[in-house]
Amino acid sequence: MASRYDRAITVFSPDGHLFQVEYAQEAVKKGSTAVGIRGTNIVVLGVEKKSVAKLQDERTVRKICALDDHVCMAFAGLTADARVVINKARVECQSHKLTVEDPVTVEYITRFIATLKQKYTQSNGRRPFGISALIVGFDDDGIPRLYQTDPSGTYHAWKANAIGRSAKTVREFLEKNYTEDAIANDNEAIKLAIRALLEVVQSGGKNIELAIIRRNQPLKDSGTAVPKPQGHRTTDSRVSSPAPRHTYMFSAKEIELQVNEIEKEKEEAEKKKSKKTT
Amino acid sequence: MAATFFGEVVRTPCRAGTEEEEEEEDGNRETPEDREVRRQLARKREVRLFRRQTKTTLEVSLLEKHPCSKFIIAIGNNAVAFLSSFVMNSGAWEEVGCAKLWNEWCRTTDTAHLSPTEAFCVFYHLKSNPSVFGSCPRKNMQVTILTCRHVTDYKTSESTSSLHTPFLKALKTQNFKEPPFCSLLEQPNIVHDLPAAVLSYCQVWRIPAVLYLCYTDVMKLDLITIEAFKPVLSSKSLKCLVKNIPQSTEILKKLMTTNEIQSNIYT
Repeated sequence: MASRYDRAITVFSPDGHLFQVEYAQEAVKKGSTAVGIRGTNIVVLGVEKKSVAKLQDERTVRKICALDDHVCMAFAGLTADARVVINKARVECQSHKLTVEDPVTVEYITRFIATLKQKYTQSNGRRPFGISALIVGFDDDGIPRLYQTDPSGTYHAWKANAIGRSAKTVREFLEKNYTEDAIANDNEAIKLAIRALLEVVQSGGKNIELAIIRRNQPLKDSGTAVPKPQGHRTTDSRVSSPAPRHTYMFSAKEIELQVNEIEKEKEEAEKKKSKKTT
Repeated sequence: MAATFFGEVVRTPCRAGTEEEEEEEDGNRETPEDREVRRQLARKREVRLFRRQTKTTLEVSLLEKHPCSKFIIAIGNNAVAFLSSFVMNSGAWEEVGCAKLWNEWCRTTDTAHLSPTEAFCVFYHLKSNPSVFGSCPRKNMQVTILTCRHVTDYKTSESTSSLHTPFLKALKTQNFKEPPFCSLLEQPNIVHDLPAAVLSYCQVWRIPAVLYLCYTDVMKLDLITIEAFKPVLSSKSLKCLVKNIPQSTEILKKLMTTNEIQSNIYT
């Protein structure tokens, strides 16, 4: 049955499926994993970095992108589709700021992206966008937000979610481990994101990329608590825009430190367990 | 003839008889040239067995030369990676020959000079126990087949979002008495291609055989898919062959990094 109703996006099957949209969701699973966590005072986005070819400029392969100073997005799926969506979202963010003189709320820009995706599921001759996105940020009211969109154009708010390859495994891990204690402070939320990714990332900490946004903390005022980001200042115009004031991208060293800490904690927990049993 | 929604013209089956009856009479006349082309094509498509190192053809059938009690065949890159890292890393395996074939779907056009890396199938046997290999129909032989399939081919009445991929399903012949390590493949799912051919052959010749099919959503080389085959390691045929599991995980990681295909389409 599927083969007769999956050639065009505008055709429903007799049992109510839009097969092209469902196939687009399969395309999302081909992208590497991305996880988003909403803490009390922080939002965290972690992604599995794709391995970069030897001659490729690593900085141009990015899965986490800023849409505005206070909104960040990670995607999974078709790279080119993501670029188009991100560009449109960025333009919308600035247009909103100029018209209404207020920065967009996270919900507004998520709704914009979701509406855009939905339009492409109802247009003749176009195919749906093959990406899912995790959008995080803080609104002016200081409440942290995490939203997820998918190729069908639906969006929902989440406390923690994962998209891309093995998303189900990561989501199950989060369901077990996302507790009030786990997100009690910022460091714990970051560790939870890294631990969730380590469940499915194939080569450990060096393939993880992390971005965080803290409430009302512009980078220049951080002092010693939040060190300056390394490797993210660039004058190269080919690269996507530099990190906005509030978003902080972890350097490889910092991620490695966190991963080592997590592994130590795991070892200690296992030692305790074996002591109890013996 | 029928017109569709989008203006394309589609041939509908006609119950009054085919319109091509008149054309068939002309088409049936085969010239000697056609026969020659057909003969050449048949020759190209022959399966050839030979030794890779010496590049000599194996005159005697490979099958008769190496009789065996256990035959394990892995089809697909994930199954092969599982077999090479978990089974073949313990003990010395010697390559006894390989099979090369060509058909219209192959990408190479030169069939006479296929390079050694384009072998379709490579045969190995355990040096210490040469009875572990082979493929002639023997009464006391046991066959294990490992392969992968995309989860979208799996038909089930439950919602696909509740499936925990990757997962294993088994299919066995009548003579296979051991209980399989996972649930059996339910109807209406079917097995395709080479694994199906091997299993059917075993069923016809009454050879005990079991097929372990891993449904996964990642068809390229993937650690999680390969590890889904692990329950098979406790089967009678493989238990004695597997010795060093931690080392296997290391070998697997190395395999993954060397074989990673660079593709920028999906991020």
